[in-house]
Amino acid sequence: MNQQAAMDLRQARRSLWRERLAEDWRVFRRNPLGRIGLTLLIMFGLMAVCSYIPPMINPMYNPMTGVDPHIMASTGPSARHWLGTDFMGRDIFAQLLAGARVAFMVGVSAAFMAVVLGTALGMTAGYMGGLTDTLLMRAADMIMVMPTLLVVLMLAALFGQLNIWTIVLMIALFRWPGVSRVVRAQTLSLKQRPFIDAARVAGASHPRIIFRHIMPNVLPLAFLYMTFRVTSAIVIEAALAFLGFGDPGTVSWGMMLQWVWKTGHMFQAMYWLLPPGLCISLITLSFYMLGRAMDEVLDPRLRDETSAG
Amino acid sequence: MSSAQETILELRQVTKRYQTRGNILGRGKKEVLALNRISLQVRAGEIFGLVGESGSGKTTAGRLIVGLEKPDEGGIFLNGQDIVGLQGKALRRYRRQVQMVFQDPYQSFNPQVSIMDSVGEPLLTQGVAKGVEREQMVLAALKEAGLSPAESYAFRFPHQLSGGQRQRVAIARAMILEPSLLVADEPTSMLDASYSAQIFDLLLGVRGRLGATVLFITHSLASARYLCDRVAVIYRGNLMEIGPAQEVIRNPRHPYTQALLDATPKFGRCEDIPRFNTLLRAERPAADSGVGCGFFRRCGLAQRARCSMEAPEFRAMGEGHLCACHYAEPGPAQADQGGECHLGA
Repeated sequence: MNQQAAMDLRQARRSLWRERLAEDWRVFRRNPLGRIGLTLLIMFGLMAVCSYIPPMINPMYNPMTGVDPHIMASTGPSARHWLGTDFMGRDIFAQLLAGARVAFMVGVSAAFMAVVLGTALGMTAGYMGGLTDTLLMRAADMIMVMPTLLVVLMLAALFGQLNIWTIVLMIALFRWPGVSRVVRAQTLSLKQRPFIDAARVAGASHPRIIFRHIMPNVLPLAFLYMTFRVTSAIVIEAALAFLGFGDPGTVSWGMMLQWVWKTGHMFQAMYWLLPPGLCISLITLSFYMLGRAMDEVLDPRLRDETSAG
Repeated sequence: MSSAQETILELRQVTKRYQTRGNILGRGKKEVLALNRISLQVRAGEIFGLVGESGSGKTTAGRLIVGLEKPDEGGIFLNGQDIVGLQGKALRRYRRQVQMVFQDPYQSFNPQVSIMDSVGEPLLTQGVAKGVEREQMVLAALKEAGLSPAESYAFRFPHQLSGGQRQRVAIARAMILEPSLLVADEPTSMLDASYSAQIFDLLLGVRGRLGATVLFITHSLASARYLCDRVAVIYRGNLMEIGPAQEVIRNPRHPYTQALLDATPKFGRCEDIPRFNTLLRAERPAADSGVGCGFFRRCGLAQRARCSMEAPEFRAMGEGHLCACHYAEPGPAQADQGGECHLGA
């Protein structure tokens, strides 16, 4: 009997979370921005997953090393090469798919690192206050005013070609201060809320207050910032690659643009210039739209009054 | 209530100051005296009311008692043990005996934590129970607080409950450790009147069933009269009057208590209702010395020569009824001047 009651309770607990997720999903789905963003992202995701297929069909579709033996210069779209080939006969479509994979990799991992770092430091600064707060926030200010692209460019010039993971790491290291500022502000305001006092009266320790009471209230915001950080990471990587400081071993969209430009095809081969350009714009746009829609899920004040019910 | 009961909580000369933040050079700093040498005793098993207007320091007193803040001077004693400066394990042990219900039921729950986990948190942090046992205890506590079926409330988030329901949950959370003292900080100020009465009855039940002592902080003399055995009236950090609730409210001796009674909404025509008219319409310039009576600036009866120079001592007005006013005298209060609703400065 007691066993049965415990089972019921566990079930009730689970359905509580299911309900909450369902509710959030409903709000998200009502937002056209969110729908468009999500659709685009799923599309890019499919592209990234499919990037493994062309090289398997024929080695000449390998985005980096595969060269069509019959083609010596850039050609337009054809049945054999859906989007045409680049100056040395590599398939542009295959490169585009590979670029999607790199964009996700760079964007998500750099943003994730930046957000983890920013959240940890922001929560520490906000909760501890005093000297810790001052030191961390001044450091954040200093990093924040540094132009990321310029610094990374200088480092690239100093150390020669950069590995793609080095680039990811540097983007993360330069992009946490924004997150930490927001998280700190949120932590400061949460710290003053009566439910923190209530937790203290209940006997909660500092770690418990931080992880059980503050973090769950900060994490949604951090994830929201992650979507915006993805956007900026992708743009920075593309800019670096376009300027010739990317990882020469990876095919990213920025790299493709650099090849277009370097080989003098800028306005001669639209089939080559447009796809990566459009992809960069669309993927950043879709992450941004996703972020905006999530914003609405997280902040009920932004919800459309008429459809709230 | 017999006076032979033992004292559970004692505040001895408790002072709390707050500093307002000045500019970067520390100029413009001001000190606010939230509590000025407050001494009072709460007896085991009674409901003790702390009555005062906004900013009178009554909430500060509550926060000091549950150990959320430390007094600058003075001591707070629970069952004879000084609790000021308790830390770590000792503080946690202390909190098994003293719990609090907060004023704002909309702010005192973590929006990301279910009712079950909020109410069960003390059990977990105090190491009383966990797992299924904890859940059963939470359900029982919710039932005690008048939320049934408890199962349907336990697995909800705070925002899915009404203010009154949340305040019941707050009481369940405070009472789940069966503390000997419950500090209730204006638990009904955010609720509708109809809900207030239910919460009051719940607090009466808490006292009756568990024998807990309740320190009830309120701005409303009416609710203090309904609920409390004894009340203390506090104004800007100074205790004004203290005594049995019925006695203080029916026969207030201190001009501030009288002014509070005047301010209580009543039905009827203005002229027909007896008033004390002890409150000045405009504040008087402050006493320069800073040693006078705390109520001097707004008191209609004050005489500058005495009240601004000399702090009044508590004097007995009746059985257990103390009042800090130079001009208060034992005997029935004279609340017969109807007519004018305010006294000019």
